Order: sequence, then C-alpha cells, then structure tokens
Amino acid sequence: MKTKPNLTFSCRSWLAACGLSVLSLAAHAQTFPVTVDSCGENLTFAAPPKAALIHDINMTDMALSLGLQSQMAGVSGITGWYKMSPEFKQALGNIKEIAPKQPSLENILALKPDFFFAGWNYGMAVGGEVTPTTLKKYKIPTLVLSESCIHVDKARPPASMELLYADYLKLGTIFGKEAQAKAQIAQWKQRLAALPKATGKEPLRMFLFDSGEDKPFTAGKFAIPTAMMAAVGGRNIMDDVDASWGTVAWEAVAARNPEFLVLLDYQNDGGADKLLQFLQKHPLMQHTTAVKNKRFVALRYEELTPGPANVAAIEKMARAVNR
Amino acid sequence: MRLAPAVRSTSLLTVCLLLLLACVSLLSVVSGATEVAWSQVGHGLGLWLRGAPDADYTMVDRIVVDLRVPRMLLAIVVGAGLALVGALLQTTTRNDLSDPYLFGLSSGSAAGAVAVITLTGEVLGVWTLPLAAFVGGMASVVVVLLLLRRYRSHTPERMILAGLSVSFLFTALTYYFTFLGDQRAAQSVMFWTMGGLGSARWDNLFIPLTGLLVLSLFSWHRRHALDAMLSGDHTAHSLGIAPERLRLQAFVVCAFATACFVAVSGVIGFVGLMVPHLARALAGALHRRMLHIAMLIGALLLLLSDVVSRSILAPQELPVGIVTASVGALFVMYTLLHQSDGA
Repeated sequence: MKTKPNLTFSCRSWLAACGLSVLSLAAHAQTFPVTVDSCGENLTFAAPPKAALIHDINMTDMALSLGLQSQMAGVSGITGWYKMSPEFKQALGNIKEIAPKQPSLENILALKPDFFFAGWNYGMAVGGEVTPTTLKKYKIPTLVLSESCIHVDKARPPASMELLYADYLKLGTIFGKEAQAKAQIAQWKQRLAALPKATGKEPLRMFLFDSGEDKPFTAGKFAIPTAMMAAVGGRNIMDDVDASWGTVAWEAVAARNPEFLVLLDYQNDGGADKLLQFLQKHPLMQHTTAVKNKRFVALRYEELTPGPANVAAIEKMARAVNR
Repeated sequence: MRLAPAVRSTSLLTVCLLLLLACVSLLSVVSGATEVAWSQVGHGLGLWLRGAPDADYTMVDRIVVDLRVPRMLLAIVVGAGLALVGALLQTTTRNDLSDPYLFGLSSGSAAGAVAVITLTGEVLGVWTLPLAAFVGGMASVVVVLLLLRRYRSHTPERMILAGLSVSFLFTALTYYFTFLGDQRAAQSVMFWTMGGLGSARWDNLFIPLTGLLVLSLFSWHRRHALDAMLSGDHTAHSLGIAPERLRLQAFVVCAFATACFVAVSGVIGFVGLMVPHLARALAGALHRRMLHIAMLIGALLLLLSDVVSRSILAPQELPVGIVTASVGALFVMYTLLHQSDGA
C-alpha cells in the first residue's frame, strides 16, 4: 500500500516538474517587494529570504516541493516525532535540524534565520517564547500556517483546500516562485477534480481517529482533514466541533455512526492497525458501520496536516472510499 | 466546620442521600454528549435485563447500557472510595488536608501510566495502562515506606513529608515522560493527570470495586480504633490501640485502593479532601456514622461533576478533574470566608 502509490506519484510529479520548469522559464521574473497575509497581518519582503527556517514535516514538505533548499538554513520539529521517508531525507539533503521537537528562541537565534515558517501549536505556542512577535524583535518575519490561525483568530472560515493552496502560494510568492506555486496548485486542483466522488445521496459519514482511549482526539471544523473528506464526497461527522484538533466523546462519535474511518498512522507502536483493533474492542465503536465493515484508510501525519502530501492522500482516500 | 448543624439522626440522612443518589444516577444516564430520551433509557435497560441478542440494540441502547451505566457505576465507586480514603487519612494523620494527592499515591499511579504511554506502548494489550497505573501507585507507597523505615515512630508530620516528597518526585517524572513523548501522548497524559470516567467498561469495573471493598472492610473492622484516634495518640494508646501501626495499616490500604481507582479513572482531585469535611459536618466525627455518609456524598459529588463535565461542552468532554478541582477550591474558599465571618 505504501510503495505502489509512491511510484505512480513520483512518476507524475516528475512529469509535473518538467511542465513546471517550462512554465517558470516562460513566466516573467517576479518583482519585489511582495506582501502576503499571515493570520490577518501583512508581511512584506523586499527580497526572497536566503536563510529560512521551516518547522514541522508538512511545512518542510511545502518548502522542498518548491525547491527552496538553497534558501533554507534549517528545519525543526521532525526527527523528534516522525520517521522520515527516504525521499524526504534525500530532498532535505544536509540542511540541519536545529531542534527535534519545538525550537526554543535560543535554537532559532543561534541559526540566525531571515524567515520562519511555523504555526500555532506547530512549533509556536500562544504566550510562548517563540511567536511572530518575539521573533519580530530579531528581524525574523514569521509566516503562520493558515490552519493554525484559529488559535489566535476565532473568526476564520471552516476548513477548505484553500488552507493548502493559500499557504503554498504565499510561500512561493515570498521566495520569488509565485508562478511555480500557481502552476503546482492548478495541477493539484486538476488532480482533485478528476477524482471519482463517493456515490450516495447523503455525503459519506467519515471520522478521523488520531489517538485517545477514554476520549478520541480528532479533527474538527477548522482542520484540513475536514476539507479532505469533503474532496472525496464525504463529510467529517465532527465538523460541528469548533476547533481545529480536539477531543470529543465516544458516544457522540458512535451515535453519528461513521461509515468510513481515517486512522492516523504515526508509524510507531503498532500504527493504524492498533487503532483499528482498539475500535473493534470498543463497546460502542465496534457496532458502527465503518468498524463492522473495516472501512478505513491509514494516513500519516504529513498527509493530514496542510502540505503537498494532502493531494496524494486525498487520492488514496478516494480509492479506499470507492473500493 | 459549621456548614450545617450536625444531624444526629444519621439514618434519615442516609435515606435522603440514597434517594438523591438514585435521582442523580438517573440524570447521569440520561445526560451527555448525545441526546437520550427517558423512554430510551427504559428500552435499553429492558433489553439488557432480558438478555436480548445483540441485533436488537440500537446505538442509543448501547450508549445507555455499555457506556453510561458502567460510567455511572464507576463514578459512584470511585467517588465513594476517594471520600473514604480521604476520611481514613485525615483521621489517622490528624491532618485536615490529607487526601490521596498529599501522600504521592495518585502521582505514582499517574507516572506509571504515563511512562507506559510514552516509553513502551501497550505491551500487554488493554490491561497495560491499568496495570502500569497500579504498579506506579504501589511503587510510590514502597518509596514512602522505605523513607519511614528508618524511624521507629511514624508521626503524622513525618508521613506527610515523606508523602509530599514522593508526590513531587513522581509528578516531575510524569512531566519528564510527557516531554519525551510524541504529540498525541500529551492527550493521554491529560487523561491520567486530570482524571475522567470515559474508560468505564463492564469488564474493568471490578478493579475499583476491589479497592472499595478492601477499604470498606478495613474501615468497618477498625472503626472503633479510628474513633479512638480522634482524641490523639495518647488517648488511643491508653485505649489499647497502637496509633503508629494503625496509621501504617490505613496508609497501605488507602494506597492499594487509590491505585485501583486511578488505574481506571486517572487522578481525580479534591474529592478525598473535601467530602470528609462535609460528612463530619453532617454526621459528626464518629466513624460508625460518618464513613458511609462520606461515601454517599463522595459518590454524589463525582456523579454530579461527571454530568457537568459531559454536558457543558458537548460533543466534547471536559476532564472531570477540572470540575472537581473547581468545586473543591470554591468549597475551601467558602469555608475560609465562613470562618473569618464567625471570628
């Protein structure tokens, strides 16, 4: 399940890369300064950053897919939590990781980056030592992951694929690769438009199970999995939870009887199989349609947080849903 | 404590509390994240009593029978148990602030569970976490006992100091393991450190029940000795009771029981601290009268707290420890204000 889609994906991305490089050659060189929005605040860049620091595996994926390696000074928050795929490792090359989990202000200042890409609860904590405000003092502009803006701005729209597109375009624009980013987004949109939709009058009832025993940890209204489920013609049964990620009650999940599960595969400690086994033993969940029929797809962290891996993950989800 | 005049007729009080407990039990089966009508409760329970086949159950029936009824029973057992632990510890150490927290019993259990979550994973299947919590709780007791072994006399002060230091140590361990763990571990850690009744299942209820049984038998068996302790070590001694031995016995029994409770419900604070005070105010200090009143109030308090924790943020659930800690803190504040008024 893991190797086969990867082969087709890499072939496709190679073709896409060819197309993209032609496109970017044809496009006019982007003019600076550029201004992008970051959680409602304007960030202006007079020139592309030369020593960027990118946090977390999903945001690093965005940077690598835009080919920003030569403009990256470091990454953080990867090895402390996840296994890197060989492709990721290779693309990352010898860019160093300054902290395996959350970077401290000292970690960051020691690197002297000229740009930081992170999110609330994705490397930064509200009131913590590393925030856009604390970094501003050291002339380090911070681009904040849109999905995480809900932690500082309660008036955000519910999740849509814009969470990926907008951030990808912002990152491209900041680094002078706006045309490349636009082309990539157009190609993603094309891939998603070509997906078979789940059949049935009502959208397929889907539930994401991340972790938790007495209460499940799941994705709510503002997290990208809600948009990913919609992209395959489904509906997140927890899309009324006013949070990006949070815990709900088992009985609420069971009462909404999910027909399909998205299991978060952390690739350790039994991974997604263990989650399914847990559900099969749970007094309520074992009777839900999804568990009874073993209808699920296992997706990794970077596939369920905003990043380029979302698109292949949605395709994977669509295949599993229509199987 | 002058919350209410001491009621001498404890049997009347017992009946009132039992009736109240029955009402709140029903309320706790009806309220929660999903809507359940009264008629559906009857339907579900009917199926269950008849031993109906699986296919007859709707999801709401299952919510009632498989989740809410065991959850209600867990709240009653753990609430009553924690109150009893608090009462025993407060009497034997003659300290009004004694509760399972103070002696490191809870923090040891939490550290055991969190260590397993972050370091080894569930090596023994579904029983791993309860077992780890139990082992952690007993480990903290062993450390306290080792600390006390040097001394021939187990004074209350020495016990509390030993317990406190162990409590801090295990809390530090818990935080250290949390720091080491992955992102999702933080969620499970929250459950173990703030408590919750969401893990209640028919097949794990026997763990806290065992704890409650051992506690009840011990306190019933030693009720006269406990009464004698109220007037101090010297008086107890003159009545033929060895206060230090009783303290130690009570401590070991309380530790065992607390580990049983925490193994299923995590660390639920303030019930053990607050309830014995209420019980004494209502039923007087003598244990024959007071202990079962404390158990009833403890059960009521935890049951009500759980109803609140499940209802205010539905479909999300608040850790029940947040509710009990808020109620407990308000209780202490009320008591303080009341005392200064009277002064």
